[in-house]
Amino acid sequence: MQEDLMDIICCPLDKHDLELDVEEREDGEIVAGTLTCTECGETYPIEDGIPNLLPPDMREDAPA
Amino acid sequence: MDRSRADVRETYDRIGTHFSKTRVNPWPEVEAFVADAADADLGLDVGCGNGRHVEILKQRAGRVVGVDASRSLLDAATERVPDGRFLLGDASNLPIATDRVDLALYIATLHHLPSREARIESLDELARVLDPDGEAFVSAWSTTHDNFDAPPDAEMGFDTTVEWTLPGGETVPRFYHIYAPAEFQADVEASQLSLDAFELSNGNCYGTVSPASH
Repeated sequence: MQEDLMDIICCPLDKHDLELDVEEREDGEIVAGTLTCTECGETYPIEDGIPNLLPPDMREDAPA
Repeated sequence: MDRSRADVRETYDRIGTHFSKTRVNPWPEVEAFVADAADADLGLDVGCGNGRHVEILKQRAGRVVGVDASRSLLDAATERVPDGRFLLGDASNLPIATDRVDLALYIATLHHLPSREARIESLDELARVLDPDGEAFVSAWSTTHDNFDAPPDAEMGFDTTVEWTLPGGETVPRFYHIYAPAEFQADVEASQLSLDAFELSNGNCYGTVSPASH
């Protein structure tokens, strides 16, 4: 993920800003990290360079 | 709630690699829309799949973001458009800031959302993220396609399942809502979008839309 996405993306649930926590960077791109909603506190992972901003009930690990 | 949106994501995660190889070329209707559009700062492709239309949008927009619910399709998109910006997201809950997008595509995705409520929500979300002067191109499969024998003047379309056959012969069912042209126009008008132009082409409904408040 390129950091300039931060002024475009928001929390899918309440549309508030996200806070970026970088765990791993490679060639200027964010490979791993966490995005946290500044309002509701929901967290969204950045995995292999792609932020997962699916609502929590659509995530792969969501309970059926 | 609403497991079925997750089901659509799972379907495309399963078939994504093979599906992507069969979706090589951009659609001429989309190329024509983008060619006629004004230059844009930010382009958005909702349901970008393997990124074939992100490439087209890049001809008009400084930055392009592709959103899809399937990780395997986004992996194909990243490979196809290495300098594109991709994220996992749901069309009915777009993770994109309000009023930011100048030029958007929402192609062959609306018909995968399993309820009218979710489909109109997704159109409302498109209206929300568009700049007041922004515009978008929306398509959905229609009853006028040769595959269906519905009367062309039907008021309402129908839900159906279209099988995808994997190389090994295994089939994977995919949900579709096939739109009657009148219903497509009514659903756009019921959302926060205004329908500026409508056409039928190759069995698809196409709408050129902008935020209704414009």
